[in-house]
Amino acid sequence: MRYMRIVGGLVLALAATAASAHAHLKKAVPADGAVLSSPPASVVLSFSEPATLTACWLQKGDGPKEKITGLATTPEQQISVQVPKLEAGSYVLSWRVVGDDGHVLPGQIHFTVSAQH
Amino acid sequence: MADILSVVLWALSFVLQLQAAGVVFFAAAFGPALTISLASVRSLARITAIAAFFVAAAHYFLDAARMAGDLSGVFDSSLQDLAWKSSTGGAFSVRELGLLLIIAGTQTSSVRLTADRFFKASTALSPGLWLKRLSSRGFTIAGVSGAVLVAASFTLTGHTSTSGWRWLLAPLLLAHLLIVAFWFGSLGPLYVVTLRESRERTARVVALFSAAAFWLVPLILLAGVAMAVLLLPSVAALWQPWGEIVIAKGGLFAVLLALAAFNKWRFGPALGNGDLSAGRTFRHMVIAEYALIVVVLCATAVMTTFFSPE
Repeated sequence: MRYMRIVGGLVLALAATAASAHAHLKKAVPADGAVLSSPPASVVLSFSEPATLTACWLQKGDGPKEKITGLATTPEQQISVQVPKLEAGSYVLSWRVVGDDGHVLPGQIHFTVSAQH
Repeated sequence: MADILSVVLWALSFVLQLQAAGVVFFAAAFGPALTISLASVRSLARITAIAAFFVAAAHYFLDAARMAGDLSGVFDSSLQDLAWKSSTGGAFSVRELGLLLIIAGTQTSSVRLTADRFFKASTALSPGLWLKRLSSRGFTIAGVSGAVLVAASFTLTGHTSTSGWRWLLAPLLLAHLLIVAFWFGSLGPLYVVTLRESRERTARVVALFSAAAFWLVPLILLAGVAMAVLLLPSVAALWQPWGEIVIAKGGLFAVLLALAAFNKWRFGPALGNGDLSAGRTFRHMVIAEYALIVVVLCATAVMTTFFSPE
């Protein structure tokens, strides 16, 4: 019984300290779902580990996805994406990143630019 | 489209790689006990390794398409360069080298034929016999080295390669994959053996395999659970997609163990006793085991492509 407790404790300790190894989005500015009074000049994506942005698109409403070019080619934990001048409307910024572990991960955020500006 | 194609190729490549490696392990372990089926077993390893080589290459080149989000990425040299310089490129190189070694290591039958042609009067001291013995050992070493490289290539990329627990995860993953390959890769040869070899020889090979599997297969579960504990950030993460697939794999593994137990304690001994229907039932069970392991490998391919332990 005592032995089982020791093993159980070790398992829980390992589980609690295990580091998750993947480039997942930790924070975005503007945040997902944000409503902005003025259009952003860029979107800043913060990942859990350095990642390389390999593709990025911006879509307004139900319109076509516009590819964003001129992306940084080096791995960064915080990636700034320059966006064109935005009109009022709802937008989806979607991307693909490659993490240190070689995994390709897609992601997206939604934000709205209000008509007040 | 690129994602779907990539995961289909990855699942197929995963199945082929582990089968090629496993057939080599089977031939190395039980080859001396085989007669007329050995050439077929080696051919199975060679053909599977050739197929795995090309499917793995196609999957690798599609990685750039996944990065770009569409198939045009395959032709983007900067993305291909990024893939080559990433851990994916390193794993791909080691994998393809391993598959080439398996292909080379299963060429013994052609070497044997050449030796027979040039040294027809084979005696105990004839050069032909020595050439055959030396080549047989050399080819076995090449094939087994290739199979180990194929399994090791999986430790160079993915979740385990960047974790702080890498020193523990890499050997656990290697052990997990080597034993899975041995089990999975032995099923095809066992099917062939029951069809071609004599009853006594078949019963002996099945008994030898069952004895090895009895000790090795539980280690698959132990290594798998240890890896899940190290990779999952919390118990709650078990209810996320990655954790759910791990649980599903565990359930399928339990069914597989039940099938394997039936083969060891029921149908294996019946084969030795000359039960004619046992051979057919044993083959059906082998097919069921094979199909279930393919399902587990496909689930793993989906898990490692689309989800992470978060």
